[in-house]
Amino acid sequence: MKRRAALRILRAAVLLALTPGTALAHGAAPQKAFESIEIAASPERVWAIVGDFQDALWLPGVVEIKGGGGSKPDEAWRRLIFATGGAIDERLVQYDASEMSLRYMIEHGDFDILPVGNLSATLKVLPGPSGARVEWKARFYRAFPGGNPPERFTDEVAVDAVSAYFKAGLARLRARAEGP
Amino acid sequence: MKNWLLFIVLVCGAPALADEAFIPNQSSDDLSVIDLATMTERARITIGGKPAGVAVSRDGARVFVTSPEGPYVSVVDAGARKVLKRIPVAGGPLGVAAAPDGRRIYVAEAYGRDLLEIGLESGSTRRVEVGASPSGVVATPDGRYVLVTVRDEDRLAIVDAVSFTVAAQVKVGAHPFGMTFDAASGRAYAADVLSDDVSVVDVEARKLIGAAPVGKRPYGVALARGRAFAANQYAESVSVFDAQSLAPLSTIRAGEYPESLAASRDGAIIYLTNWFSNELWAINVEKLEIVGKTATGDGPRAFGDFVRATQ
Repeated sequence: MKRRAALRILRAAVLLALTPGTALAHGAAPQKAFESIEIAASPERVWAIVGDFQDALWLPGVVEIKGGGGSKPDEAWRRLIFATGGAIDERLVQYDASEMSLRYMIEHGDFDILPVGNLSATLKVLPGPSGARVEWKARFYRAFPGGNPPERFTDEVAVDAVSAYFKAGLARLRARAEGP
Repeated sequence: MKNWLLFIVLVCGAPALADEAFIPNQSSDDLSVIDLATMTERARITIGGKPAGVAVSRDGARVFVTSPEGPYVSVVDAGARKVLKRIPVAGGPLGVAAAPDGRRIYVAEAYGRDLLEIGLESGSTRRVEVGASPSGVVATPDGRYVLVTVRDEDRLAIVDAVSFTVAAQVKVGAHPFGMTFDAASGRAYAADVLSDDVSVVDVEARKLIGAAPVGKRPYGVALARGRAFAANQYAESVSVFDAQSLAPLSTIRAGEYPESLAASRDGAIIYLTNWFSNELWAINVEKLEIVGKTATGDGPRAFGDFVRATQ
């Protein structure tokens, strides 16, 4: 475990050394991820879960959440702590309860969980044929900021990781919303 | 014959200025050519290398497209819809501008620190260091300056186009990206992605005049008829403010992740790309209403002045 953390710090240090400028530097081509799911529950019931920014235990791998600011854009934040020991800090950017839609961004990521830079995402609950439909869309960059990324930090790796994370999250969300 | 032409003009409506948009689609690796009178796509040109930046020669004959992952710049015959050549540019070419004399282009190396000048006939190059992650590039129409947003150093670099040296570095907002220049007032307008405003710089005085607050995460900026437009990615809106006084005028709802803006040659329409929802929108500059929409390829970046006059 310790060795893993040390490796992570080393990797971050190497990346920073390779990066002129700030942690916000990133690759030149933003990437998209778009996942959706149909849920047999009312949109209101699904939004009660999704729309509570401080309740993110339906996210895959998350075992603990710290946070504050409720659901107020710019102020609301949360730290997702993962079973693997890593953490991701997110901030709420926009919140529209009438449209059942919110946007958040990752402020401090963890490349072991999501090898991405500068991710922002929207979560939207819509009426669907079986009750509700949830759409989760993200814009992000690969973790490696310059040209010629190493194999584990390519655009494809980033897209695959976010898509897998969203799919797993939506499946857990459905299980919870459809549950008792 | 004359009567026929008159008839056609009258029936089809006034804008005889047939403009086209050349939209680099970064995710689908191609270039959409869109007829702006009808808002329909006329051609799709394969580019490769995740194309992002675009510039049109003053005579409209050539379109230059950067591919940061190529890495290269493609020279496109705009009328023939054909790539004439690819010029290798090592450092992640992003922003591009065509010199008013039509003989050279300027390219920002976003993975590096330099602005590059490339002679189109000779192939000869000059480079100047401007700072970390040079992004947006504009050549002033008088041929005197090349302006560059230096994203990671929060500055606008004013490069002397003749000596190709940095004449001045003007501090602007946080992470300036898209930029445009108004020849009449001598002002540059840069969208500051992280400080949610548009910095306005008097180029001759080499001074920041002010900053107009806009929506969250502005990327592109364009001017038309005394109005300035900024595309706000996170807010999914276009902010409109008075280009002179910087007073806010309106906020227009946009598509998903709006990104780049460019004005029609007559200034009546502002065109907007929506990067996530793969669209080009037309905004009426006077009424500030959406008057047209059409589909593009995947991930329209169109970073630069993407409108071409065909006559």
